[in-house]
Amino acid sequence: MVTASISLRGVGRTFGATRALAGVDLDLKPGVTGLLGPNGAGKTTLLRLLATALPPTQGRVSVLGLDPEVPAERTNIRRQLGYQPQEVGFPRGFTAFAFVDYIALLKEWTEPAARHAEVRRVLDLVGLSDLGAKRIRAMSGGQRRRVALAQALLGSPAVLILDEPTTGVDPEQRVTLRTVLAELARTSIVVLSTHQTEDVAALCERVIVLERGRVRYDGPVTELTGQAAGRVWLADEPDPAAKVSWRTGTGRYRNVGARMRDDVEHVEPSLEDAYLLLRGGSPEHEVAS
Amino acid sequence: MTGWHLDDDTLRSYVERTDSLAEGTSVEQHLLSCEPCRGRVNAAASVIELSVIDLAAVWDRTRDTLEVPRPSVFERLLRVAGLPAHEARLVAVASAFRGVWLVGVAAILAFAALAAAVGHARGLWPFLAVAPIMPCLVVASSYDPWLDSALEPEIVTPYPALRLILLRTIAVLALALPAVLLFGLVVPGETAFAWLLPAVGFVAVVLAASTWVSPLRAAIAVSSIWVGVVWLLAARSGSPDAVLQARTQAGFLALAAASFVIFLLRRRWLCQLRPWR
Amino acid sequence: MDSRPGDETLLLAVAERDMGAFHTLYERHAGWLAIRLARRCNDRDLVADAIQDTFVAVWQRPQGFRGDGDIAAWLWGIAIRRLVSRLRTRSSVAAVFENARAAPAAEDQVLLSVEYGDIGQALARLSPEMRAVIQAVVLDGLSAREAAQLLHVPVSSVKTRLYRAKAHLRAALAEGPS
Repeated sequence: MVTASISLRGVGRTFGATRALAGVDLDLKPGVTGLLGPNGAGKTTLLRLLATALPPTQGRVSVLGLDPEVPAERTNIRRQLGYQPQEVGFPRGFTAFAFVDYIALLKEWTEPAARHAEVRRVLDLVGLSDLGAKRIRAMSGGQRRRVALAQALLGSPAVLILDEPTTGVDPEQRVTLRTVLAELARTSIVVLSTHQTEDVAALCERVIVLERGRVRYDGPVTELTGQAAGRVWLADEPDPAAKVSWRTGTGRYRNVGARMRDDVEHVEPSLEDAYLLLRGGSPEHEVAS
Repeated sequence: MTGWHLDDDTLRSYVERTDSLAEGTSVEQHLLSCEPCRGRVNAAASVIELSVIDLAAVWDRTRDTLEVPRPSVFERLLRVAGLPAHEARLVAVASAFRGVWLVGVAAILAFAALAAAVGHARGLWPFLAVAPIMPCLVVASSYDPWLDSALEPEIVTPYPALRLILLRTIAVLALALPAVLLFGLVVPGETAFAWLLPAVGFVAVVLAASTWVSPLRAAIAVSSIWVGVVWLLAARSGSPDAVLQARTQAGFLALAAASFVIFLLRRRWLCQLRPWR
Repeated sequence: MDSRPGDETLLLAVAERDMGAFHTLYERHAGWLAIRLARRCNDRDLVADAIQDTFVAVWQRPQGFRGDGDIAAWLWGIAIRRLVSRLRTRSSVAAVFENARAAPAAEDQVLLSVEYGDIGQALARLSPEMRAVIQAVVLDGLSAREAAQLLHVPVSSVKTRLYRAKAHLRAALAEGPS
């Protein structure tokens, strides 16, 4: 069996005068890859490209060995692809079951009994099996995200692209999500974008950091975290020598600095520390304590 | 009565139906207010294999009745027309088939037809302005991303976008054209059918244009141009003979054919997100 | 403390379209409702359909229960009427179940006479047709028309039998224990 893979070579995408992506080279294999980056970095554009919703303006994309520029191959890719967009405007009057059933129809589940069973299976995966008959318009934001996720999970696709799947989802559901994705990622390529470094740390083996349309980092999560080793320390006051510092829940200050220091109280670095270091302590990053 | 419960023999004879009416009535009255005894009756019934009803199967059917979406009238019509069940559902789900939309279209047409019937020669112009653009507006709304708000997940499915759009177009025309024809019967003279070829032409133009821009924008643009042209013609001449001429009608036919060819040539752009989104 | 939600709580959840709560309600009530229905109609499929109709009706209008009385009584009211509806559309006769024994067993007579006086005995002396009418109209609360549909007899027969049954019962009760 051939291992699933996605590759991008010199990929760029321009919208009129704006260059959303440039010079992207990537190779993706089965497993969970996290996509981090500030707003406007190009995460959504990259995900749309991977999901064959947009063609690149430069470079080449290859998904599962197929070329999305060729219509027949694009259709074949889409048979094995699930995509959860950042926002889904659900049509009025649809229940969760009806909507996922509709997408299942588009995914060529023509036989009703099998289709209904599959719809129930994915609704169950996202914890909505009891709310299939509820109108989506009457649901909370987190529940709607889960409906959007459910339709992406139809058919246990070989490629799963998720745009901010954890936004608005409560902590218990996040744990369930992690389990579901980990299971799928044994044989499938899962790419998810998020603002939460904890999600990447908990779920992803690999992380890609995007900034202004370019790849700043691409590698194992542990390696990125390791870049902050020896550069994180606690103090009672914010340290002026640090690149970033913030108040933690214990009342002390966590400092992340560019240079290693010996005379301070070091702590184990987290992915967030490494990410902040990489980004150069950019002030637009919002930190939760 | 909270302390008192049915004894096992009474319960058994109730479930096995070996009791009398009076005893049964007594049991039934008790069950109405005693949850534990109801539970015992439930349990006893499954143990005693006495013409037991498959409650699990009934549950499955009940749940299906409530969860699985019911086909709409339009969907059933499509099935009768020969479309396979799953395709009928796909076509019917488009926004344009919401009742409100169709009512609105019918209202506009009725108004225009009335104007034509009442206003004689001058009254024909409103009808001629409105009738040809109705079909293309309804077609556009059946797959425009602004109205069909689930577009992004739909786009990356393997279902051929071309087939979906064509099916929806045909379904819409099957609804819209007879409606317009019906209203056209109220309109005196040959103008009643002069709008047909322009209507087909505009639908084709919208289909072709949707490979560049959003269908609804294309339809609104086409409609605005047409209404403008009709207004100019109406202001300059009294009767709509210009439109009725074979040359003009043939022109619309040519427009339809050319647009449709362009649409087919550029169909790969149908199934991708546009930059304007 | 009983941590299981009460029926009323379940109904509220059903109003919010919670299929899980609805399933629990089904598991609590479908069994005894089916048994009670089966004592009025021995066509299994009809009873199954009536149960389905009942719960669909509950889902569609959970607010129909106004909090007065037992939910079980409310459910039974829906169930028996759904059974009657189903019978209306059936061309063949669905035989009404006849209780095997007309009279209570000796050992139960004491209990029954405490609860109902001599009604048990009086009922036992009625013909099966009259008993069926009493059960349908007096005990199940059906209208004469509904009872006619349930028993598959003309409405006039229902009224006649009811009249005679009541007359018999009055006479029997006036007589005192035999």
